[in-house]
Amino acid sequence: MERLVELRGIVKRFPGVAANDGVDFELRCGEVHALLGENGAGKTTLVNILYGLYKPDEGEIYVRGRKVELKSPKDAISLGIGMVHQNFKLVESHTVLENIILGLKEDGLKIDFERHRGRIIKLAEKYGWRIDPGARIWQLSAGEKQQVELLKILYRGAEILILDEPTSVLTHQETRRLFEALRRMAREGKGIIFITHKLNEVMEVSDRVTVMRKGRVIITKETRETTKAELANYMIGRPVVFSQRKVSAQPGATVLKIVDLKVSGDRGYPAVNGVSLEVERGEILGIAGVSGNGQVELAEAIAGLRKPLAGRILLNGADVTGMDAGRMIEFGVAYIPPEGNKLGIVPEFRVVDNLFLKAYRYPPYSNKLLLNWGKMLEKARELVKEFGVVTPSVFSKARSLSGGNIQRLILARELSGIVGGTPRLIVATYPTKGLDVGAAEFVHDLLLRYKEMGSGIIFISEDLEELLLLSDRIAVMSGGRIRGVLTRGEADAEKIGLLMSEAAPQAG
Amino acid sequence: MIEWIESVLALTLQVGTVYLLASLGEIYAERSGILNLGLEGIMIMGAASSFIFTLAYGHLAAITVSIIVGVLMSLILALMAVYMRLNQTVAGLALTMLGLGLSGFLASPEVRKVILLALNPSLPEKFLAIQEAPKLPEIPVPTLSEIPVIGCFFRQNALVYFSYAAAPLMWFILFKTRPGLSLRSVGENPAAADAMGVSVFKVRCVATMVSGGFAGLAGAYLFLGFQPFWQEGLTAGKGFIALSLVILSTWNPLRALLGAYLFGGVEVIQYRLQLFGLGALSPYLLAMLPYLVAIAALVAVSIGSVRKRIGAPASLGIPYSREE
Amino acid sequence: MPLKIETRLGRIRIERRIGYSKLYSISMTLFSLALAFLVISMILASLGLDTIQAFLVIFGIFVKPSLLLESVKQSIPICLAALGLSIAFKMNFWNIGAEGQIYMGMIASTGIVLLHEYYGLFHAWAVMPLMLLASFLLGGAWCLIAGALKARLGVNEILPTLMLNYVAILVVEFLVHGPWRDPKGYGFPLSTPFPKYAKLNLVLGEPAYTGLLLSTLGAAAVFFLLEYTRPGFEIKVVGQNPSVARYAGIKVRRTILLGSFLSGGLAGIGGLSIVSGIIGRLRPGASPGYGYTAIIVAALAGLNPWLVMAASIFFGGLLTAGGVLQMSMGIPKAAVQMIQAVIFLMILVGEFVKRYRIVFEKPRASAS
Repeated sequence: MERLVELRGIVKRFPGVAANDGVDFELRCGEVHALLGENGAGKTTLVNILYGLYKPDEGEIYVRGRKVELKSPKDAISLGIGMVHQNFKLVESHTVLENIILGLKEDGLKIDFERHRGRIIKLAEKYGWRIDPGARIWQLSAGEKQQVELLKILYRGAEILILDEPTSVLTHQETRRLFEALRRMAREGKGIIFITHKLNEVMEVSDRVTVMRKGRVIITKETRETTKAELANYMIGRPVVFSQRKVSAQPGATVLKIVDLKVSGDRGYPAVNGVSLEVERGEILGIAGVSGNGQVELAEAIAGLRKPLAGRILLNGADVTGMDAGRMIEFGVAYIPPEGNKLGIVPEFRVVDNLFLKAYRYPPYSNKLLLNWGKMLEKARELVKEFGVVTPSVFSKARSLSGGNIQRLILARELSGIVGGTPRLIVATYPTKGLDVGAAEFVHDLLLRYKEMGSGIIFISEDLEELLLLSDRIAVMSGGRIRGVLTRGEADAEKIGLLMSEAAPQAG
Repeated sequence: MIEWIESVLALTLQVGTVYLLASLGEIYAERSGILNLGLEGIMIMGAASSFIFTLAYGHLAAITVSIIVGVLMSLILALMAVYMRLNQTVAGLALTMLGLGLSGFLASPEVRKVILLALNPSLPEKFLAIQEAPKLPEIPVPTLSEIPVIGCFFRQNALVYFSYAAAPLMWFILFKTRPGLSLRSVGENPAAADAMGVSVFKVRCVATMVSGGFAGLAGAYLFLGFQPFWQEGLTAGKGFIALSLVILSTWNPLRALLGAYLFGGVEVIQYRLQLFGLGALSPYLLAMLPYLVAIAALVAVSIGSVRKRIGAPASLGIPYSREE
Repeated sequence: MPLKIETRLGRIRIERRIGYSKLYSISMTLFSLALAFLVISMILASLGLDTIQAFLVIFGIFVKPSLLLESVKQSIPICLAALGLSIAFKMNFWNIGAEGQIYMGMIASTGIVLLHEYYGLFHAWAVMPLMLLASFLLGGAWCLIAGALKARLGVNEILPTLMLNYVAILVVEFLVHGPWRDPKGYGFPLSTPFPKYAKLNLVLGEPAYTGLLLSTLGAAAVFFLLEYTRPGFEIKVVGQNPSVARYAGIKVRRTILLGSFLSGGLAGIGGLSIVSGIIGRLRPGASPGYGYTAIIVAALAGLNPWLVMAASIFFGGLLTAGGVLQMSMGIPKAAVQMIQAVIFLMILVGEFVKRYRIVFEKPRASAS
């Protein structure tokens, strides 16, 4: 089989870390080659190098046997390399057509919109996609956006396709459809690099698999000659126990009751469209669903960051609908925001400032006007120790902390009850996203500990495995509605997947 | 009455052209993600250099030099905002201060004399000390300029005619051509453009230079075409008003055409009210009108944009870097 | 990487620095000042002016006691306005309107004086405290317009604050040409000269010392506000990221209103220091751009209140030098504005050098 791509001895250092440390990789014609690894293993860095986005510090790149130097994506594109990034690189306010032809050189100065239109529709049909070239990107569902991304590179006749975590935003059905399209592309002789950290997907779609860990390649194997357990072992570097945690639910009083809640999203239309839920003391209610289906808006409404359009939120029986974030904090609602490193901390502030981002305005840490830094520092040092935040001192800037430590810092602030004792309700949105296995386990343990202490917990995640592991009940959310609530006994991946795709969001 | 309307309209066009030229270029810069707050400073440098070069070499040279000066000044901003990734507000402000200071310095009688003699040693003595320059001639279009009322559209100088053509042309390039698409994409989502092989830095640099060239031209027009009498700070915030106009036009060259004449009209009304019986109102109070209207326009747009979802280019003011 | 220049000698690459020391930061600032004077000397020299003589004049200011005192006097409005800007900029509120807020402060102070002079509404001893209060309130209110537009309607503050500068200047023109014109002033657009009790002469009878006291108090207040108070903490969080501030339960709108008001208020007191300390009456063009200079000062001082004081005196000296340069060497007064702008630009370049590292790489054998 012809070799499409060969990477030899790639080294890429970022300040402080070697993201790629002597990586060899090879892609053949007509294969789907899975690149497997945990977050931070260096997969994305490697393909960014192949796509000309990063320049390697050392190493050589061969495309179709010829040594090449990729100065920018332009060079990569002209060699027939195309990439679908994990975060879509689409201009939201532009049309599908404008996004697809962006950067194309074949026109004259004036764009021939009609000709492109016809060709795009034809190309899409080839893979079974129906797409309106005149639609604006923001009107599309996540699955359709991904099709646009693929069309962008196929339209340029790419033979080497790189897909970075392509399924993370897709429903079960959409994933199926994507895999079919990928198999078809492979049959046409294209080479596909498929980046993922999900073992099931590797087994399902790939011909070969390369496992990376800490910037190095651990092994490359034919997929059919390996097993999930073996891959997991390579990926994490130690045997993984898929354990079940047994912490039984102790039924208690209702902490949170939501009645027919409607919440507006950033685009103006309701993102949460009539949700009713209840959470009890000492219960973890998992919320499953593909991200972008109203989970974050629901969480923000509970945390007081979004004013509901309609419906009611009751906390310990008291109506707290429409109260602002400050009041909700005082009611004992802890909120762990998505993308903690962006929304949960101020990177330029010191650790102590970040720990007191909420509590600074309550006694004994301040009176009406003045801050009591002595008290804050004392408590901050305690918290850093208690939650194991690794930092040179409480005066270090939060920016200098690692992702896992930033999450620990946020957890310390939210859960330690600096404001009102043990939180009554914890709303955790994607608290383990982007963390390595150890850090994720720490988060899990912590949530379980607070469950035992009697907090009601809403646990929003995309990862079914951890949802099944922790939740007492799982509510499945899609299109801004709850499609069903499953108890621990009856929930499994199959059922959740079915509920998720029951009413996948449509365009507009 | 018709004569009065005609004169108001003619004046409106003349004032409006200053705003139009300045905002056309600025629209390109902002569409690419660069806020050129140096507009005011570039305009006054354009005015100052057109003053000096008209005296030395005549109109054509003056206009050419103003454009070049504008481009060079915008290069400073491009360097700081695009390559050095500095805060665009601060960098633009520094550029405005540079323009105001440098123009006042270079066009001051003492320094101007040195420059004029260096440019053209044979320049007659009387040109060395005067504060004014010959105005750009009006070029009436045969027949069309005879039409009552709207005839005044066709009794203007060459730069006004240029602005008529420039607005639709700039619109066409922005929305119907390949470079225009790249430009808009860079301003909305530079990472997306970069991923498709569009050089974000090159596009932003060129767009900033376009805005500088147009601002230089606007300054030259302000001085040569409208008010050919030099005084320090003669732009009097017109560059900033043009920046508000860009927002009012929602970054669209054709709407800028309308908006420019609207702002021109406001300024003309202010002159006219002074002449007409409203002597009770102090001219100083009337002179506030353009600035207040500009603020009102910003407020109106910001209320409207919430409803209609028209926003600034999504990456306006945000430096781009690939590896961060 | 944005800037990667391929040369025959190798590649030039620009990297972000992870951190840098205070000493490095200060030495880079001094380096950029030196660079600025290099550029200025090139401009002056190219026009055939005596550069060395000009620099001797500029730096001579800080040696001669009478001129130094004048520089300190000039620095007071700059310092107070820049202290206000430090608050606004910490809040990421781009108040470019210190100039207008200064003018409003002047109007308020003059108003109080005239109220006393014409109507005798209050005791002479109450005039100065009332002037302080009024200039703070009116300057603050002027900035609050832009603050409220931002907080309520989401209007970006840059253009409104700028526009209001021009409006404020016209208000002064209107007043001194109209209702506030001194009846004994031969028709010149000037207000009545201020009486003794309305002047800054508390300390040693000298405005410079009184002003220095005022700006020291101002710097202490701003430092205390930002480091030790709840509103100060809130202002800083809002400045870093309004979404995070909202998440932390901070009332973002209220903070913006407060911060913009305080910022304008300090500039307003700066206005007072002009009419009471420098000129002694209200007249058009009373501020030669102190409010704009204050922006440069705030940038140079990195928003540190104490450094703001030092930087203000430097720029006060520069303004004083402008007058001397014009009289002794015939260099136009606009030269000072130009020098300020060049310094501003070089400070920004210095910021870049601080944050990024320029790496020269050896050429590699390239096989492609």
